[in-house]
Amino acid sequence: MIRFENASVTYPGGVHALKDVTLDIRDGEMLIIVGLSGAGKSTLIRVINGLVPLSGGDVKIDGVSVRHAGSRQLREIRSKIGMIFQTFNLVKRTTVLNNVLMGRLYGAGTLRSLFAWYRPEDIEIAMQALERVDIVEKAYVRASNLSGGQQQRVGIARALAQQPKIILADEPVASLDPPTSHVVMRDLQRINRELGITTIVNLHFLDLAKVYGERIIGMRGGELVYDGTAAQADERVFRDIYGRSLTADDVMSEAATAAATL
Amino acid sequence: MTAAAGSGQRPARPRQSLIVPAGLLAFLVITWLSLSDQFGIGFDLGAIIEDITNGGRILITESDSAAQRGLLVPNWAFLPRTVDPMLETFKMAVVASVVGCTVALPVAFTVSRVTAPNGVVLFLGRTVLSVVRAIPDLLYALMFVAAVGIGPLAGIVALVFFNIGVVAKLLSETVDGVDPGPIEAARAGGGNRTQTVRWAVLPQVLPNYVAYSLYTFELNIRASTVIGIVGAGGIGNLLFTQYRFFNWSNVSIVVVTLFVFVLLIELISIWLRRRLV
Ligand SMILES: Nc1ncnc2c1ncn2[C@@H]1O[C@H](COP(=O)(O)OP(=O)(O)OP(=O)(O)O)[C@@H](O)[C@H]1O
Ligand SMILES: [Mg+2]
Repeated sequence: MIRFENASVTYPGGVHALKDVTLDIRDGEMLIIVGLSGAGKSTLIRVINGLVPLSGGDVKIDGVSVRHAGSRQLREIRSKIGMIFQTFNLVKRTTVLNNVLMGRLYGAGTLRSLFAWYRPEDIEIAMQALERVDIVEKAYVRASNLSGGQQQRVGIARALAQQPKIILADEPVASLDPPTSHVVMRDLQRINRELGITTIVNLHFLDLAKVYGERIIGMRGGELVYDGTAAQADERVFRDIYGRSLTADDVMSEAATAAATL
Repeated sequence: MTAAAGSGQRPARPRQSLIVPAGLLAFLVITWLSLSDQFGIGFDLGAIIEDITNGGRILITESDSAAQRGLLVPNWAFLPRTVDPMLETFKMAVVASVVGCTVALPVAFTVSRVTAPNGVVLFLGRTVLSVVRAIPDLLYALMFVAAVGIGPLAGIVALVFFNIGVVAKLLSETVDGVDPGPIEAARAGGGNRTQTVRWAVLPQVLPNYVAYSLYTFELNIRASTVIGIVGAGGIGNLLFTQYRFFNWSNVSIVVVTLFVFVLLIELISIWLRRRLV
């Protein structure tokens, strides 16, 4: 259970990116966050694992405060939260397996990871993670030699190698083409259902949000402006979240057809 | 914020920094002053040509006695005596590079903005490193000859300090420019500073690190001539003793040996760099 209690973030420079957000996320939920650029979606996701520090309120994970955790405890909290990024954030110069083993850093400990002396079980967990996203045959390939979609699956495998209870995904498909986006979103959905991992995803394509989300949250100007099921979220709801009428850029299928007819 | 975006107004052109043009101007002025009569360093083309004609006699003097022949009349019989000092220089450079570059690796991560544990350590580390780099290799050699006595050990310690200064500086600047994405990923997964540096940063800068290390190794071979002068061992010692007795034809053999050796090292390191990077 993730619980936001009047969580606020003010960045240095004075931008209020998160304003007094109160929110409960149940275990095993698939939650999708939508909102315009700058609405605070990335900030909302990053306060969960403490990458962005809170300036007010608190976020508690199974009752443990993220805001008041010391650096050691914060690392322990993070070790159970996998994260997936828009630009994949892989180390391109090294192998896929080494990238996935970054998900084992906390489990392996400093000395072992320093000398790349991973236990067989760490390697096994990494390999199984790669199998789950169907890319294990690339284990010893340099990450830079993979396509964008493949790189993102490695990113998912790295998160899975942490054996996390929560997965955070910040615009995981924004750098991918529509068919690949669906592959990646289906992977996330499958992982959520099969492993029961709480999954929180930022998306800016509304049709994707409706297809893959169970629950949708809308943000505007750092505030929570919508919280409901995907079925309830119709065009009027999205218009309210965005504060404007919808355009072709807001949906992936339209964007795809627009690109195809160019 | 949404409110801040799109006010539609063109921003005022930011003021350009004057540092670069001012710096260029300063260089021009200093160059001009150096060449002028009042403040100059006595740079005079006519005098140089005259000196060269005089010096020419030293260069080409023929004689039966090796000790009196000129610089361009090398005494090949002296060649075998350069082997041992050259090997000593080589060994000194190897040890100094291995030790110096190994120490420089953690130092570089301590003095990069991206990987420093905190601001205080960053500031202190940078200050110490600036001092280390400000001291010239000859001065290190003098200091360690005084401390541990004449011989290659003093030279090695001097070169180690020199190498730490160079490699830590170059590498820390490379670390400043790495892709921050993997660092964020490592931190998000619960990695500590050491693990983040090892797995998110090191793979990104490893080719540069290898290149810098090879480069300092070459610099060490060259520096051996200078540090040998103050008694810190190697080929420089030999060069200086021959020079002191004006054995120009022996000096030229030492110079030739050194030249061939440096060229060889450079070729090998180019080849290595291409294979490793
Ligand atoms: N590190 C930072 N320092 C200062 N301001 C920041 C920082 N990160 C984000 N902001 C600001 O905070 C606000 C919210 O940013 P955030 O990245 O959370 O938005 P977002 O909804 O993820 O947007 P996008 O869809 O463009 O990714 C924006 O106005 C942004 O400019
Ligand atoms: Mg964002």
